[in-house]
Amino acid sequence: MSSAQIEIQLIASLVAIACAIPGTFLVLRKMAMISDAISHSILPGIVIGFFITHDLNSPILILLAALTGIITVILVEYIQKTGLVKEDTAIGLVFPALFSIGVILIAKNANDVHLDVDAVLLGELAFAPFDRLMISGVDVGPKSLWIIGSILLITVSLLFAFFKELKVSTFDKGLAASLGFSPAIIHYGLMSVSSITTVGAFDAVGAILVVALMIAPAATAYLLTTDLKKMLGLAIGFGMFSAIAGYWVAHWLDASIAGSITTVLGLLFFLVYLFAPSKGVIAVLYKEKQQRIEVSLLTFLLHLKNHNEEVERHVNHLNEHINWQKVRSKTVLELALKNNMIIINDSIVSLTEKGDEFTSLAIDYIITNEDSQIEGMKDDFFLFRG
Amino acid sequence: MIKNIYILFVFMVLLNCKNDAPDNGKLNVVTTTSMITDLVKNIGGDQINLQGLMGSGVDPHLYKASEGDVSKLANADLIFYNGLHLEGKLVEVFEKMQSQNINTIALADVIDKNTLIGSDYFASNYDPHVWFNIDYFKQFANQVTQVLSKKDPANSELYIKNEKLYLTKLIHLENKISSVIEALPEEQRILVTAHDAFNYFGKNYGFEVVGLQGLSTATEAGVQDVQKLAAFIIEKNVKAIFVESSVPKRTIEALQAAVKSKNHDVSIGGTLYSDALGNAGTIEGTYIGMFEYNVNTIVNALK
Repeated sequence: MSSAQIEIQLIASLVAIACAIPGTFLVLRKMAMISDAISHSILPGIVIGFFITHDLNSPILILLAALTGIITVILVEYIQKTGLVKEDTAIGLVFPALFSIGVILIAKNANDVHLDVDAVLLGELAFAPFDRLMISGVDVGPKSLWIIGSILLITVSLLFAFFKELKVSTFDKGLAASLGFSPAIIHYGLMSVSSITTVGAFDAVGAILVVALMIAPAATAYLLTTDLKKMLGLAIGFGMFSAIAGYWVAHWLDASIAGSITTVLGLLFFLVYLFAPSKGVIAVLYKEKQQRIEVSLLTFLLHLKNHNEEVERHVNHLNEHINWQKVRSKTVLELALKNNMIIINDSIVSLTEKGDEFTSLAIDYIITNEDSQIEGMKDDFFLFRG
Repeated sequence: MIKNIYILFVFMVLLNCKNDAPDNGKLNVVTTTSMITDLVKNIGGDQINLQGLMGSGVDPHLYKASEGDVSKLANADLIFYNGLHLEGKLVEVFEKMQSQNINTIALADVIDKNTLIGSDYFASNYDPHVWFNIDYFKQFANQVTQVLSKKDPANSELYIKNEKLYLTKLIHLENKISSVIEALPEEQRILVTAHDAFNYFGKNYGFEVVGLQGLSTATEAGVQDVQKLAAFIIEKNVKAIFVESSVPKRTIEALQAAVKSKNHDVSIGGTLYSDALGNAGTIEGTYIGMFEYNVNTIVNALK
């Protein structure tokens, strides 16, 4: 591996971590699209910076871009607080407005300069190793590695310092306020960090990759856990995995690095979406099937409890009386037997003591309108699930 | 779960360590556009390891780097590029590399700036499609020869010999196209293409050049541009308009439809090679072949 290749993977991994941390909170707060919004709304900052400096390469342009990013989140928050529109609508209102201010400024004053977000800010990961930072003539590594490294350091220290505050204000704004720290300040702090991370990472690796690395790893982690710490850890892990794996996919295909990383992120999300233990598509389908059988079982048990006459409880009568298909009645019967809810003597089905107790409790819950309690009760009574 | 992911991640990094730097004592030369690749191939011959970044049909303004380009750039001893912002963001990268002792040479820098076609508004912005002036291309050849000779003095005689041979071919090309173009009456010399790539060509051979889009292929033509140009085509009775290999056909087809809707016929005269050569191995895959092909296509369609 050449040093350029190692540096690219290192930069990509650092960007992945720096994006995953604010990304996790953005996904939880349903503000995931803010990074995409920032990629557009920073244009007026860049244009005004150019009017001041007349230099496309000046760092002032990037500073003003980050500032416009913060203005974006403040405006979004302000509109959202009115309660008249939702988070995503507020984002959708703010960034086109700011972007068009930028476009108009260019059209009026600088139509002939190649002035757009691409020209100033959007970096290309493949070229990152060739833009090096020199300190008094000594080469200390790629410039973007230092920029991303510093942003990451700030993000991580803020995360450790304010983890509790971030957690409470994300999940329970009311509690946060009553505990004495303002959820608004935490919110603006988080949004400012997101804005600076976004702008800094844009410069290093380009827009698509930043948006993807902010949202996809956090969204994937969210399918697997509901614990904030675990979600952060998983998001960082997924981000880094995709960054490295994506790089080698690009190497193998000789394709764009950012494109390959984004593809790996997408595939990863898709796989987790299918196979996640509790929220995955397959798990949900399985659970639905299980519940359908268990509802049938309960109906069957209620029927048994209601009828003492033997005719009603004869195995062959079940099909007619409860009107089930044969296959299903067999499954239900077997499940009831396995769980020791019923016994069968001479083709007559009767409830066992355990079956009777379960059914009585279920009736109580149904009468008092607490159906959801039945689900919890199942764990105590069932040896086997449907 | 989290731990497993990290283990997998470390494993992947370790697994993928391999070395791939071709080094057989020859100069590693990297070029950007296919025109420059062809030129350097003619002068360097087998004495250099030559790798071009942009293949046929690639628009240099919109070029996206692939992973393989990283190793090419990292291993390069010499990088030749067009400059004048043709390669977009890449030009900036090359300028930065220059400060790290990697020789990057903007070939357009050798041209006298006063002879370049400039922007109306900003003095320092020039039309970068300079290779359509064969005189400029000769200067490119000279610059490439000088740089190669200086970097690799042992083979300098060979480079100079190759340059002489190539310059003769270019002079032959000049004569040939002049005679082809002479056959076309001057009032019929109107070249309508997708973007403004042919200004130098037009200036040299007396063509009025009209591009539907501006200099940059990133901008899109507006409805008004199309209508204005359609009116112009009808007024001047232009017979054919041209598609470019590196720009989508769509806009030129829209223009053709606009002209037809005004009950006037204009044909699409063919595909011209503007920002990139044709496929390697074909005649249009060389600079000389491309130039001849373009001139024949233009003259045949407008005759």
